[in-house]
Amino acid sequence: MARSSSSRRRRGLWAKTGPTPRLLFGAFVIAVVGLFGLTPKDLFGLSFVWPHAALWGAVGWGRVGLSVRPMILLIAFGLMQDVTFHAPFGCFVVLNLMVYGGSAMIAETFDVMNEPLIALVSPVLLLSGACLLLWFMASTLEDHPVKILPLVAAFLTTGVLYSLVHRAFDLGRRPGALEGQAS
Amino acid sequence: MARSSRSAQKGFRRSPKRLVLGVFVFAFAALIIAQSAPQIRGFFDPVRTTIGDQLGGGEQIGLWARMTGQVEREQRIKELEAEVRDLSRYKAAAISMAERMEAYENILNLMGEPPVRGVTARITSESDGPFAQTLLANAGRAQGVEPGSIAMNEGGLVGRVLQLGEHSSRILVVTDFNSRVPVMGEVSGVRAIMFGGNQGLGMLADMPERAELIEGERILTSAEGGAFPRGLVVGEARNTGGEWRVKYAMTQRDGGYIQLIPPPVIDKPVPVETPVTEGEAPLGASAAQGVRQ
Repeated sequence: MARSSSSRRRRGLWAKTGPTPRLLFGAFVIAVVGLFGLTPKDLFGLSFVWPHAALWGAVGWGRVGLSVRPMILLIAFGLMQDVTFHAPFGCFVVLNLMVYGGSAMIAETFDVMNEPLIALVSPVLLLSGACLLLWFMASTLEDHPVKILPLVAAFLTTGVLYSLVHRAFDLGRRPGALEGQAS
Repeated sequence: MARSSRSAQKGFRRSPKRLVLGVFVFAFAALIIAQSAPQIRGFFDPVRTTIGDQLGGGEQIGLWARMTGQVEREQRIKELEAEVRDLSRYKAAAISMAERMEAYENILNLMGEPPVRGVTARITSESDGPFAQTLLANAGRAQGVEPGSIAMNEGGLVGRVLQLGEHSSRILVVTDFNSRVPVMGEVSGVRAIMFGGNQGLGMLADMPERAELIEGERILTSAEGGAFPRGLVVGEARNTGGEWRVKYAMTQRDGGYIQLIPPPVIDKPVPVETPVTEGEAPLGASAAQGVRQ
């Protein structure tokens, strides 16, 4: 009995948290994962594939519709990704914003919150589209078709890890919206 | 249905945010396209470098680099930079040594090697030649090739002209069993006769019993016998099973062209007749007397 009440309290804490703290928490998670991504990722000669943490935010935050604050965060993360990945400025910004817009569009068209199939398929579609978009941008900017295998590996990692941490990027409602004013 | 109508009601309210998103996307897409101009990219590069240094991710190999093949290019560039640094040191040492050697030669009044003049020719292999390992070069007497010319490629000694035609020449390669090249170790100074052996390595004969080459030292021509000039690179010394062999230098750089260098010719001394005056001893009685005169 005591155990069930404590677990209810734990669930309640996240449920009671507003979209802005959730947004900040999600941004913190992305920043931490991104910063760890800057450290050497080789162990015994094997290099780890690191996820695009900013896309977790783009997919998750877009589920409650469009808002300016997530866009600004995604732009900031995108610029940081451009610097750390040595990509031309704007590549990852465009990628993050397109995924964010796509996620918002899917959420607007379908009932993402209550349809498990849509909730499962939409991140897969969004990440696949993002993978293709990044490959297309890289190939266009480098004037030759670039290797797709490292890209697919990174997006697979992103997708697999998103299935584990997607709750951290669930804003519940749009940032700035009042409680009970769910989108 | 209810959701559709709700979406329609909120459509107006959402449109400014869609517009903002669209503006952001187009602005950054324009930024990407603008960076294809070198001037604009040059403006962003210092910013990128500064931020990259601050983040500490400058040395990391990013996904973009992995995808676009920059990793291989950057690694190659780093290798070449390291090689250039090493070669710069060698160059400085070589210039210093050359200046010192020139000074010594001047002091000793030494007659050095004559300047090399040669003919570059294309080579083809020959399957039905008189020897197992011969090459044909598309330059002959008409191009200025002389009998017994020395064939060199970018790596080192290739062989010697065996037969000379008007527009072609046949070269006996040093890898042939019948080839004999007087060689010496660059560092040890041990002398030997090299001939072609199996496994792509040259055999050494007539080595001194108590002298040893040094593993990896360069093997040069020793100029004994006068067929080859002194100091041409032949290969590297390799000790295989207690037996010294030579790994040919010519096989490391095979561009399909050779340079045919005239053989070293030292003119035989011709006695000079000088008028004998009365009361003087005749010249040429002895070498020592001649030098004194």
